[in-house]
Amino acid sequence: MKPIPPERYIDGVRQGDRRMIGKAITLLESRAARDRGLAQQVLDALTPHAGRGLRIAISGPPGVGKSTFVEVFGHHAIEQGHRVGVLAIDPSSRLSGGSILGDKLRMPRLSSHDDAFIRPSPAGEDLGGVARRTREAIVVLEAAGFDRILVETVGVGQSETVAAGMTDLFILLALPNAGDEIQGIKRGTMEFVHLLVVNKADGDQQQAAQQAAHTLEQALHLMHPPEPDWSVPVLTASAREDLGLEKIWQAVERFHGMMQASGRMAARRREQSLAWMWALVREGLEQRLREHPAVNLEQGLLERAVKAGRTAPAEAAERLLMLFSRPL
Amino acid sequence: MNDSDRSQKLLDQWHKAAERGLRGKPLASLERETPEGIRLTPLYTETDLDGIDHMGVPPGITPYVRGPYPTMYAGRPWTIRQYAGFSTAEASNAFYKQALAAGGQGISVAFDLPTHRGYDSDHPRASGDVGMAGVAVDSVEDMKILFDGINLGNTSVSMTMNGAVLPILGGFVAAAEEQGVPQSELRGTIQNDILKEFMVRNTYIYPPAPSMRVVGDIIRHCSGEMPRFNTISISGYHLQEAGADAALELAYTIANGKAYVETALAGGLDVDAFAPRLSFFFGIGMNFMMEVAKLRAARLLWAEVMGTFSPKDPRSSLLRTHCQTSGWSLTSQLPYNNIVRTTIEAMAAVFGGTQSLHTNALDEAMALPSEFSAQIARHTQVILQEETDIPAIADPWAGSYAMESLTDQLAQQARKIMAEVDQAGGMVKAIETGLPMRRIETAAARKQARIDRGTDRIVGVNRFRPEEEEPPEVLRVDNSMVRENQQRRLAEIRASRDEAAVQGALKELTQAAKEARGNLLDLTIRAMRLRATVGETTAALEEVYGRHQEQARALGGVYGEMWKDDADWAALKETINDFARREGRRPRILLAKLGQDGHDRGVKVVAAAFADMGFDVDLGPLFQTPDEAAAQAVESDVHVVGASTLAGGHRTLAPELVQALKARGAEDIVVVVGGVVPKQDIPELLEKGVAAVFGPGTPAMESGRRVMELLGANRSG
Ligand SMILES: Nc1nc2c(ncn2[C@@H]2O[C@H](COP(=O)(O)OP(=O)(O)OP(=O)(O)O)[C@@H](O)[C@H]2O)c(=O)[nH]1
Ligand SMILES: [Mg+2]
Repeated sequence: MKPIPPERYIDGVRQGDRRMIGKAITLLESRAARDRGLAQQVLDALTPHAGRGLRIAISGPPGVGKSTFVEVFGHHAIEQGHRVGVLAIDPSSRLSGGSILGDKLRMPRLSSHDDAFIRPSPAGEDLGGVARRTREAIVVLEAAGFDRILVETVGVGQSETVAAGMTDLFILLALPNAGDEIQGIKRGTMEFVHLLVVNKADGDQQQAAQQAAHTLEQALHLMHPPEPDWSVPVLTASAREDLGLEKIWQAVERFHGMMQASGRMAARRREQSLAWMWALVREGLEQRLREHPAVNLEQGLLERAVKAGRTAPAEAAERLLMLFSRPL
Repeated sequence: MNDSDRSQKLLDQWHKAAERGLRGKPLASLERETPEGIRLTPLYTETDLDGIDHMGVPPGITPYVRGPYPTMYAGRPWTIRQYAGFSTAEASNAFYKQALAAGGQGISVAFDLPTHRGYDSDHPRASGDVGMAGVAVDSVEDMKILFDGINLGNTSVSMTMNGAVLPILGGFVAAAEEQGVPQSELRGTIQNDILKEFMVRNTYIYPPAPSMRVVGDIIRHCSGEMPRFNTISISGYHLQEAGADAALELAYTIANGKAYVETALAGGLDVDAFAPRLSFFFGIGMNFMMEVAKLRAARLLWAEVMGTFSPKDPRSSLLRTHCQTSGWSLTSQLPYNNIVRTTIEAMAAVFGGTQSLHTNALDEAMALPSEFSAQIARHTQVILQEETDIPAIADPWAGSYAMESLTDQLAQQARKIMAEVDQAGGMVKAIETGLPMRRIETAAARKQARIDRGTDRIVGVNRFRPEEEEPPEVLRVDNSMVRENQQRRLAEIRASRDEAAVQGALKELTQAAKEARGNLLDLTIRAMRLRATVGETTAALEEVYGRHQEQARALGGVYGEMWKDDADWAALKETINDFARREGRRPRILLAKLGQDGHDRGVKVVAAAFADMGFDVDLGPLFQTPDEAAAQAVESDVHVVGASTLAGGHRTLAPELVQALKARGAEDIVVVVGGVVPKQDIPELLEKGVAAVFGPGTPAMESGRRVMELLGANRSG
């Protein structure tokens, strides 16, 4: 196959050519070293055209109904005249390396809509990788004219923090198990949730859902709000029956308006960019450290010495850092 | 010497003799554990009967282990009931008449997929499937042609319908009336088993709750108006075909039955007013002993379950069943062996005490049966009934140590699974959690791995596989002709009916759904009489209920687990890892189910296997059009699309997929086709841009390897 020149990617994405949008995301996701230069070139060209939309993270425990929620929420957005890009990060077991990307099964209507673009991605081996690829995929979708970006992630490990770091608004879905208090929602998570939705409020679970919403609301009172002028709404919904979406949509709009009017939106993105820069610096430093010839040479020796208790960890660390910072 | 000393001594003798024969191998090496979790041993003795309660109870006496009727086939043989449906109502009608004349004793109608899903033949989603896997029925007019010259007053008619039950049953009633046969005289069965559709077959229309309302309305209507009609055929067959072992099939079928009883009771009916009209439908596979035991255990369990509802009529606790030999067990390689398989399975069904039976035609795995193969299938049963002495003795396996022990153990295993369902809050709730589907899928993936590894043997597939395959002659349906035919008839009906009256009847249907009042079957019958169509009555309710779309996700890990120590497996994984390193990402494949066929065992097993090999596997929603699949392939930028078609739609759908990809500038995406594709269709598919066809029986690992070859050949740097 002949390599595709950067202009084809850039123009294709800008013109909304779905084939090229798909390929551009593949290029940016690629782990092959030979793709890196081209990827950077494409990303640089697309970045100025991105950033005008609203980026929404949708998280929650496995099976809470995130994909189903994306299906109906996405539809509401389209009805309001928006174009919806969906990035679904699938965490399925990577024991064998492969994965089953099944989120789209729950999005049959959205999948066949011209104003939606859905790209599931395997979670990959490393969290940093997910963050980079998803972040860059957002740029592609925005540059292609999608102005509501929904990022579905499962609320396990650090993935919520990562998703919060690249979106404007964080929706957490919860299950209607009133008994479990705040259902093990991590305290750290609550700090960046802007909207809490108790899903599956249908059938004989309606009451339980109301109850859960009430409990969650009480718990939230004791916490610090994520934004100064924003008290986190706790709503109930049924993604499956498409109930309660109107209110959620309104809350999202309200939040968006508030963030834009107060200038917090832009500020938040600037903070995110800064944090991202430092994350990249840390990642790059670590990689360079590991690739540094002098460090490489002594690393094994020092490791053995520390293991054997012959050298103190701090002393060994200091030695490695010194090797690294000494001019070659 | 007393009796027990004597039998101990004889047993010791047997042990010694057996061990001598084994030349040093331990006796235990002959034992094996079945997928149901039961140990099969070479010798069963009297002690295996200890603690079995049902021993000594004759047939026709509760709990009916030995059969629902006292004299069984000695009094009256089972009904030979062959399931069949061909493209158009005319063709099916001719077939039924011929079958009735040739010894068939009832009619069993197979509908095409658009009818199942409540689409008229002119619906855009229907195109590839009209008339393919059965007959297309759009209105009463088709029904009338279907039963032309067949007296519905004395022929029992079984209809395999679950999704569009209302218009099909409604159309059947209306057609009979126009023949002069009142509802009260209609005999037969409608499958109407929606729960198993949610579990495995996916031929549903509405979500679970309204679907259960429909079931309830049908039971209510029939208990009043159609006392001789079986309102549900609670089906284990499809669970088995989807990969369930005998214990899972048994447990979930009985549990589904229980859920229907509870629904009807909640609707205010007396248990004896409807329970005698519930019937069952089991699949019969190649594990002869286990299958006989399964039918015996099923009657036992149903009597137990029904006992808890305290019926007064003994018929309420009596399980009557239809059986079908397993379509899945047939092979497209060496197809004449299928006659032997079907005969063995038919014998198991008969020894198990079935009330009616469908025997598969030898080419059933490939296509609709030809006249030749249909006759052999029918005659298999006639031979059993008329040439052998089997029907002369009721439950001839009774008292066999092994059979009684298996019956008891299988019932025990099933009770455990049923307890798990109860714990989840009943079957409807259990289905919502997805647990039954996961259990069945796990069983299916394990089974596939056993076959692919050769531990489960199938002649023609992993034993004595022929070098050259002789394709059997199969019936081919000209789908476009059928479609045009149906479309013309639809246009005529719409032009000639009283439009205002039809619209009024449809509106009432919508209203009744909205306000949760009235009986939906009553109202549908009224609309069908006025010449409303299947699609229109379905849409009238869809307006309120919506169209359900749900599919359990495939499970990773299960398939690969069985291959852990295999060198070929490791080599393939390495090839895939190499690809990933070279390309910067794993090979990515979209597995798409095209058309209205909802059987997804194949796709799920392949998805599980491919993910375990190291592919990234995208799954598409069920019932995709080729265009939708192409769109998804492009958005996910996959390397390959694997299209699965089982219902004969491949000749239309696969080339359409190739074209749709091309139209999106994605002609470089490789298209492969898997599923039931007759050999003679392969050249045509390859010519139209399909890169490879994986027929039935292709081990998943081989498909994986071939896909990797196709990807390797496709690139140059
Ligand atoms: N009763 C009810 N069920 C729902 C609702 N939303 C989703 N479900 C069901 O919950 C199950 C999981 O839904 P998904 O949308 O796949 O959930 P998810 O959070 O995306 O799941 P993962 O991606 O696997 O973490 C499915 O069976 C849905 O039909 C709801 O509002 N009510
Ligand atoms: Mg999901």
